[in-house]
Amino acid sequence: MRVILIGRNPKVTLVRALILAILCVLGYKVTLLHIRVEGISMMPTYQDGSKHFVNRLAYLWHDPQRGDVVGIRLSDPSIMRPSIMYLKRIIGLPGETVAFANGRVLINDKVLDEPYEKYDCDWNLPPVKLGPDQYFVVGDNRSMPPQLHDFGRVERDHIVGKTIL
Amino acid sequence: MKIVFRVVLLAALAALGIWLWTIFFPSPEKIIRRQLNEVAKRVSFTADEGTLARLADAQSLAGYFATNVEVNINTRETDRQSFVGRDQITQAALAARSAVGSLNVKFLDVDVTVAPDKQSATADLTVDANVAGQPEAIVQEVKITLQKIAGQWLITRVATVRILSILNFEPAHALRIVDA
Repeated sequence: MRVILIGRNPKVTLVRALILAILCVLGYKVTLLHIRVEGISMMPTYQDGSKHFVNRLAYLWHDPQRGDVVGIRLSDPSIMRPSIMYLKRIIGLPGETVAFANGRVLINDKVLDEPYEKYDCDWNLPPVKLGPDQYFVVGDNRSMPPQLHDFGRVERDHIVGKTIL
Repeated sequence: MKIVFRVVLLAALAALGIWLWTIFFPSPEKIIRRQLNEVAKRVSFTADEGTLARLADAQSLAGYFATNVEVNINTRETDRQSFVGRDQITQAALAARSAVGSLNVKFLDVDVTVAPDKQSATADLTVDANVAGQPEAIVQEVKITLQKIAGQWLITRVATVRILSILNFEPAHALRIVDA
């Protein structure tokens, strides 16, 4: 039993455990950001006060996709672990034109199907043309007036990662 | 063993020397960070602050700014506002103290860049402001420009930065709905 628990050589086991612990901490620090949602702009998908993780490596091999809920840094990209982020959903991709008409999102003049949208929305906004490195992000709660909602174009380098869990 | 002890002692002394050097001769970046923390403290106030203390704090806040400071605020919460000069900073600080019960301001994720000539610098930071009675904190990215004037780092310009922008959209064509 003792051999199973601590191995043949306790010192080697201790070193292995330490290395494993360090790798776990480093992996967590590099990969994940633990976030707490403040505010109602992502309701009902994300409730005020709920806790989640942002995967910082989500866009290492591919670009952000439409429908992804992402963490958006306010601070300079040189800050590795931003203290505060926006949590928004990507609805527009680089080069596209995004507009709101009677609460419906138009991407290049075509209505976007948004199954996650549960509340009534009456927003009307003129078309916004996205640059080659820009995404259009917005919260899921569009029952609130657009003046009270942070949304719009964001540069790629401000997208920190994709939310998981 | 004696050599090892000497080497360790020497390393410890060198570390102590470097630490003392940074204490007595801090880098411009460190001075600016410390100064910005003090500005955040001066901007903040509590509900039980007396009238004289409010006046003193508002006036001392002006001391961190250059005489020709320019402040441009453009946020979702406020209309576009500009202040020029220290007097307007003091007035704005006093107006804020009479308008709201308490204000707690923190500068987060401060990124200071000092120019090669070490006479000017910029600080990008996130303002996290909690106003009494408001359920949500005000969060705003800000760019601050500082200049070394008479040996002192003073703020010459403050401007808000919009990360999410719906401004300057291109009205490419009229709105119309086309079902996919």
